[in-house]
Amino acid sequence: MRSILSSEVDIEKIDLSIIIPLYNEEENVQLLCELIHKAISPLEIKYEILFVDDGSEDATFELVKKMALLDNRVMVIKLRKNYGQTPAMVAGIDMARGKILVTMDGDLQNDPADIKELLVKIQEGNDIVCGYRLKRQDKLITKKIPSWVANWLIRKITGIPIKDNGCTFKAYRADIIKKIPLYSDMHRFIPAMVYVSGAKISQIPVRHHARKFGKTKYGISRIYKTLLDILMVKTIISLASRPMHIFASIGLFVGVLFMITLLLSIFNVIYRPELPMITVFGCTMLFGFLSIYFIFSGALCELIYKTGSFKNITLASICASYVNVEPKRKE
Amino acid sequence: MISSPEISVIIPVVERYDNVKDLFHKYKRVLVKTGKTYEFIYIIDGDFKEVWEELHSLINMGEKIKIIKLARGFGEATVLSIGFEHSFGDIILTLPAYEQVETDEISNLLAPLENYDMIIARRWPRKDSILNRIQSRIFHLLLNLLSEKSFHDIGCGVRVLKRGVVKEMNLYGDMHRFLPLLAHKQGFKVDEVIVTQSKKDFFQRIYPPGIYLRRILDILSLFFLLRFTKKPLRFFGILGANIFILGSIISFYLMYMKFFHNIALENRPLLLLGVLLIVLGVQIFAIGLIGEILIYVHAGDIKEYKIDQIIN
Repeated sequence: MRSILSSEVDIEKIDLSIIIPLYNEEENVQLLCELIHKAISPLEIKYEILFVDDGSEDATFELVKKMALLDNRVMVIKLRKNYGQTPAMVAGIDMARGKILVTMDGDLQNDPADIKELLVKIQEGNDIVCGYRLKRQDKLITKKIPSWVANWLIRKITGIPIKDNGCTFKAYRADIIKKIPLYSDMHRFIPAMVYVSGAKISQIPVRHHARKFGKTKYGISRIYKTLLDILMVKTIISLASRPMHIFASIGLFVGVLFMITLLLSIFNVIYRPELPMITVFGCTMLFGFLSIYFIFSGALCELIYKTGSFKNITLASICASYVNVEPKRKE
Repeated sequence: MISSPEISVIIPVVERYDNVKDLFHKYKRVLVKTGKTYEFIYIIDGDFKEVWEELHSLINMGEKIKIIKLARGFGEATVLSIGFEHSFGDIILTLPAYEQVETDEISNLLAPLENYDMIIARRWPRKDSILNRIQSRIFHLLLNLLSEKSFHDIGCGVRVLKRGVVKEMNLYGDMHRFLPLLAHKQGFKVDEVIVTQSKKDFFQRIYPPGIYLRRILDILSLFFLLRFTKKPLRFFGILGANIFILGSIISFYLMYMKFFHNIALENRPLLLLGVLLIVLGVQIFAIGLIGEILIYVHAGDIKEYKIDQIIN
């Protein structure tokens, strides 16, 4: 299974699918497609280019449609409306037939010549290879600084050493990425989610070009979204091993505060009855309630974990690398 | 059935109905004029003896009508989804069991279907009582705040849908009202066409107060459905964080007053508010996180995107 690109001749199977979500990229697609062909053709593998048109309002779809009709290596998926980058990527991932998937931006900021390096790393036995952008060619204040902060936060909070979470340029083994649940703005956390499930991740530097055409599609409003997403990912990650843990541990911490304030108020009652009770005792009650609330929330998580398919998601990808072992069947 | 008809007409009989025979003939005339094959499906929501008997006499007269009678009242949304399941046409036309619009104009709704997936009728100009009109205005104003696309008369029972829209709709409760909004959310192209309101629709409607409560709850559930089904933390998180911050500010202010101005905490009710806000904020945030977990666990079953077409 390891030597994915080796001589296992299988006419039906495609070795590589390149997934490119597009949203209003009419100036870029043509050139992008040419660059990809130029970069991949020498590698002599079977590949397909999957354009996912995420409800573009300009001529993007007509252009890629024309390309697809002329070239059977190009496939186009048109989504019904603009869903955002992650759903578009997921659409591509679901439809892709390759054994290795590569995702990249449609704005020519990634260099298709780097695909080769990504593939080499996958062949070395990594499940996912993330690119990180060397010398990013973006605006400092609106893009680079928020990105540095976000990456630093993600590293600190999740404890996963990914240098550039925002870079879409990645290569995956198809059987793994297809099992990871992705939705909303989760593409930024693919490495984190995969890391939890025990897959092997490697990082390589990729080139980054300045935008030639078109405008950047992100605003500054995504900062608070990213912050909330980081918290969510942290919760899910800690949940993967011990479902009740995260909430119950907060609950216990608050419970300790409850005990302390309780002792304090008892002490006050006995030794300093002249003091009014309201402050300390009020805090005691609130801490008590909050503690119970968190412990029950933890119980609720346990319940969700047990009833959902969460276990399958994580375990399936833990056992992603088989050597001469038949994968265990689903019961 | 040898071949399925082109248009399925679904007529839910819920609460209100007019003279069944007259209306049937009026509707039929419209459909005959379109020149397409059609089927009529009446769905009777509970016990409407009169309708039941009149429909039977229509059948005896040789009209082809399907009748589905439900054991008890289930509400219009359920009635409609039952109708969708039992119809065969590629185009579905829902019509009210009472004269809501001038029937001749119904065919206007069919024309734009080439470019759209769903067309709803908009009764305009309105001639109901002022009270009803104001109510409707407020209702739609609230709705249009939630949705990117604004509609003016989603309560109108005359709608045309393509089969594809129906397949993806999961209607329950009072959700039939929001069909156009939900369809738009799913990425379908929805538009409204202006039709003349029928004279029989002009009387004043007075609703019991319970109805208003239900409408408000409907809007609330629609709000969650449209905005936060994928990202509960975006909603609960921001709400919770703001409440938490407010509570913290109050508490820190009180602490500052205590330590630097020596104002005792005991006789300050503000303390209670501050601490309660902190607790509330934390709890709301936790609800958001639990919601995220729920969605993550089920993410495998939910397809977020809808494919329009695939080439190659």
